[in-house]
Amino acid sequence: MAQPQMSPAEQAKLQMMQDLEIEMMSDLYNRMTTACHKKCIPPKYGDAELGKGEMVCIDRCVAKYLDIHERIGKKLTAMSAADEDLKKKMSGG
Amino acid sequence: MAAQVSFDQLDKDQIKSFQDFLLSYNKLSEICFTDCIYDFTSRSIKDSEDRCALNCMEKFLKMNQRISQRFQEFQMIANENLLAANQKAQGK
Repeated sequence: MAQPQMSPAEQAKLQMMQDLEIEMMSDLYNRMTTACHKKCIPPKYGDAELGKGEMVCIDRCVAKYLDIHERIGKKLTAMSAADEDLKKKMSGG
Repeated sequence: MAAQVSFDQLDKDQIKSFQDFLLSYNKLSEICFTDCIYDFTSRSIKDSEDRCALNCMEKFLKMNQRISQRFQEFQMIANENLLAANQKAQGK
């Protein structure tokens, strides 16, 4: 992956993309945490330990959240690609 | 000069992580306050409210730990899949 021949502008661009990706990931993570807390931890705090049901719920919640995230991303990509195609056809024809 | 740059970078990273910490602290307070404090007939915090809030905090941290563990696992799998797909594409 190492590319020694890269102009400073390209490097800056790459750095920006990487920063953006990290920011997006942490935003995703924070949103997921909030969502799974809401859905899995009932607001009764008799005990500081996570219950068994809560643990299973968290595991599934994370898996499902990321799964849905991926599915929506795929659909979104497909839709925007179709949109681009349509635009090209409209302007070309 | 180079040392200066890396020092600045370290500072920036530290500030960022401190900011993240403060943000999660604020969120934690909000969650535990809304979940635990219902009684406004008295100014003092009841024992039950205190216990609830502290349990809430501890549970939240444990939940965070577990979520980050699972998240890392998923990311690792996703990375492996990406790598495998790349190798497959290059092999062709």
